[in-house]
Amino acid sequence: MKRKTVRRRSAFERITVLCALTVALFIFTALSFIVIRGLPYMSQVITSPEVRFATGLSLMTAFISTAICLLLGIPAAYALTRTRMRFHRVLTVVMELPLSIPNVMLGLSLLLMFASMPGKFLSAHGISFIYNVKGIVLAQLLVNMPFLIRITRTSFMNLDPRLETIAETLGAGSFKTFLLIMLPMAKNGVIGGAIVAWSRALGEFGATLMFVGATRMKTETLPTSIYLNMATGDIGPAMACAMIILLISGLSLVISGFFNSKPVNGGGERQ
Amino acid sequence: MIRMENYSVELGNFKLKDVNLEIPRGEIFGIMGHTGAGKSVLLESLAGFYENHEGCVYYDDMPLDSIPLQKRRIGFVYQDYALFPHMKVRDNIEFGLKMNQVGKAERRERCEEIMEKLNISHLRDRMPATLSGGERQRTALARALVLRPEILFMDEPFSALDPWTRKKMRKLVRKIHDELGCTVVFVTHDHEDIEMLADRAAVVLDGRLRTITDNSGCFGTEDREDASPLMMGRTL
Repeated sequence: MKRKTVRRRSAFERITVLCALTVALFIFTALSFIVIRGLPYMSQVITSPEVRFATGLSLMTAFISTAICLLLGIPAAYALTRTRMRFHRVLTVVMELPLSIPNVMLGLSLLLMFASMPGKFLSAHGISFIYNVKGIVLAQLLVNMPFLIRITRTSFMNLDPRLETIAETLGAGSFKTFLLIMLPMAKNGVIGGAIVAWSRALGEFGATLMFVGATRMKTETLPTSIYLNMATGDIGPAMACAMIILLISGLSLVISGFFNSKPVNGGGERQ
Repeated sequence: MIRMENYSVELGNFKLKDVNLEIPRGEIFGIMGHTGAGKSVLLESLAGFYENHEGCVYYDDMPLDSIPLQKRRIGFVYQDYALFPHMKVRDNIEFGLKMNQVGKAERRERCEEIMEKLNISHLRDRMPATLSGGERQRTALARALVLRPEILFMDEPFSALDPWTRKKMRKLVRKIHDELGCTVVFVTHDHEDIEMLADRAAVVLDGRLRTITDNSGCFGTEDREDASPLMMGRTL
């Protein structure tokens, strides 16, 4: 029979456990109010055209912006970790700057950029972003791209560079080394990052509001719908939208956690 | 032939200084030295892995920098074998053949042949994480040898193996060398590896190549002091 070893927790450990419990209780209490108040209004998800529109628009824009984030972010993260790029540090700071800037300010910067001459030129040629669905995608891109780049960059940085050297001695060029060695090995981080970026895009509000405004049934994403309905005292649709965001975000977190915990080597280490 | 002329490379606080070395085609050449002396840096330099260096390395009078890594016809086996962890043993071995556009049938045939030679056929569908040290070593060796390289570099290839497996692997490397006729350059800190395997050996101390000797006897008299810990202590 196995003997259980009981170790007394030190005072420091007890304080850390208490802190963890306090944080968890705070978050759980705050979010449980959404669940408690939102459940009765869940039928509105199916019946309300506004909620259905907001859900559809949020899902669509989040998918598109995440796809663009992946297309641009993965090569950018590769360039930051594996190439001897000039102004490497400056570029890293620029790419990660939006992480520390309020989303409203990012939206304002987009608004100013597209209200200027180049923006007006694009608009005159039919490519308009302000107060437009395309603008929602752009706002989500600006907010989430640095996030995905950082996660992917960390995944690439954790890879053993000798594996790339070995692949090259075996005849693989840099693209094949990236595609067949680096990407599969960093896939958990990349997929996890994409899921988190997608769920963040789904909940993006500040930059979207500033850049495309909040127009019912036009630029109304789920967070915008919460804002509009709360402003007019329509608790029902607001609660239904909040419940949807909560459900999707929770699910994304679980899926992201699954990929982060899955080993890429197909099994545990030999004992 | 590998020729290194006035080669220096700086890596952080460490510097490999003014190395001049010639390794004839088909030779088994051992590199010895203390931990941190620069053996692995010298080995990687001979393979041409560093770009910011002074001096030059030549393969058959061709400057190494002018040959892309993919075209050098070298095999490299690291100390911890550096197998691709997300690929099965067979996929690891076939990787180089695939990259060199070898057809599927020939790929399978060559892969089976080398696995049989190294006695790892039964491991073909296993993932690297589930292999023992000796099995990983043989897989890494198979991956490097399946392309029939002209030069095989090995960085402390036997250090993680038990004495019995180590002895077996030395014999195997010698046998493969005799069959393929390739040049073998390896790093070790075990004098027995040099005695059993190398035609010639060099000692690296503090980033400098101090002694080169054939394996028939002792190191040169004036360098005896440098080599003595290696000779007397057997391992470093």
